[in-house]
Amino acid sequence: MKAKASAEDFAEAAKRHLDDVHAFLVYLTGDRAVAEDLTAETFARALERWHRYDPRRGGARQVARSAALDHFRAEDRRRRREGRYAVAELRESAEPVFGEGLSPALERALAQLSAAEREVVALRIVLELDGEGAARVLGISTTACSTRLSRALAKLEKEVSAGVAA
Amino acid sequence: MSPLELVDGRFDKLATELRASRPAVPEGLRNRVEELARVEPEPRREWGFRLPPRRVAFALVALAIIGSFIAAGVTGLGGSKPNRDAVGGPVAGKTPVPESAQGLEKPAGVPYQRRLDKDSLVPQATRLQRYDATLRLRVKDVDALSNATKRAMNLTRGLGGYVASVEYSTRSGRRGGATLVLRVPIVNVQTALAELTSLGTILRQQTAILDVTRRAERESRQLDKLEAELAQIKAELAAGSVPTERRLQLERQAVADRLAVKTLKAKRARLVRSARLARIVLTLTTPTEQAAASPGRFDETLDDAGAVLAREGEILLYALVVLGPLLAIGGVAIAAGKAQRRRSDRRLLERT
Repeated sequence: MKAKASAEDFAEAAKRHLDDVHAFLVYLTGDRAVAEDLTAETFARALERWHRYDPRRGGARQVARSAALDHFRAEDRRRRREGRYAVAELRESAEPVFGEGLSPALERALAQLSAAEREVVALRIVLELDGEGAARVLGISTTACSTRLSRALAKLEKEVSAGVAA
Repeated sequence: MSPLELVDGRFDKLATELRASRPAVPEGLRNRVEELARVEPEPRREWGFRLPPRRVAFALVALAIIGSFIAAGVTGLGGSKPNRDAVGGPVAGKTPVPESAQGLEKPAGVPYQRRLDKDSLVPQATRLQRYDATLRLRVKDVDALSNATKRAMNLTRGLGGYVASVEYSTRSGRRGGATLVLRVPIVNVQTALAELTSLGTILRQQTAILDVTRRAERESRQLDKLEAELAQIKAELAAGSVPTERRLQLERQAVADRLAVKTLKAKRARLVRSARLARIVLTLTTPTEQAAASPGRFDETLDDAGAVLAREGEILLYALVVLGPLLAIGGVAIAAGKAQRRRSDRRLLERT
């Protein structure tokens, strides 16, 4: 890999990373509409910082995660602000969120996971990043990343089994 | 190795399903991003500061260290120039000031032998000047001491002078010393000093010139005056019509004047002789102990460079003592802030 994608054209980079970024954000947010907005936001940020874009430091996925965290913080503040007056939002949707063709049990099980668990599943399983790459994006050690993945998958498996049994 | 192989085998089915059902990018989003990609991105700064900060920090530290070594080396070289005026003597063109003694003492322990150069104190041939030189040389051993003593005596005689005194002594056959008082015609004093300094390593050298021209002139005038007075007395006595009392007075005056003339002439002769013959006190000595080799230019350079490095180290240490706690507090604060931010993000993601 090049130290810096200096010769890389932004349009080409956006095309190459779009699927990964979108899938990651879908898993991270658990909301397709938000994920789409954040994907666009991710590439807008990447365009702004294109002159110092470094694929070795996580690249587009890192920018996507940062955008998602900003979104979560804003949402958290909004919920706290409005929490006294509004009931909890119910995001029930007939549309599959995490992927076309997923079994309903797995879809529900993914929705039960926390964003932290879903993001490690997205990076390691869906995007097929190795432990080191995923850990770099998450800002944790490789061991912690593996532990988090194992727990997330175990929980997912448990939820799927429970869903199928139900 | 596939990343999935790192996962427990019982999750294979789950992983396969998740990968197969990866969420597809909606066409609308793809168009939005493509639209965004048509915007001309800010041009990359190819010349910019693109090295990782850690490498830059290492490079800066390395540069600082190299710079300090270069500074120390340059300072060391600059500070270890040989003392060119160590032999003694004013700068070229300066002449001795009349009626005043001038001397220039060379510091002890001159690391290597130097010969007198043309800028040394030079007596003026047109004036009466007393020239005194003290020379202390170190010779290798007792044999060299004997040879040097003989050569100094022969040299003095060869230059038309004489050896006023010699003291030569040795102890236990290994250590010894000699002190020679040499009188050398002042016209040859430069040659004598040049030759004498080649007999050993200069430990100390002092030269002094006292201009006695005006003193000699004053004495000459006094002498002329006395002789004129004496001639006048002689003429008055020769006239024969001098009363007895006056005669006796003149005769006493004449005796006193003759004595004064004689004394003055002797004094003047000594003055002239002292101005014609330079006095050189030459001391030769063997090393008192097995002295370490005199430091050379390279050693001096190393010493100076070491001193500069030590000074730089002191400054760095001082800066660290003053700034260290502040930097440590700043670093801890930054690290704590980052850790807090990571914890906050993790909690946020866990409850989302």
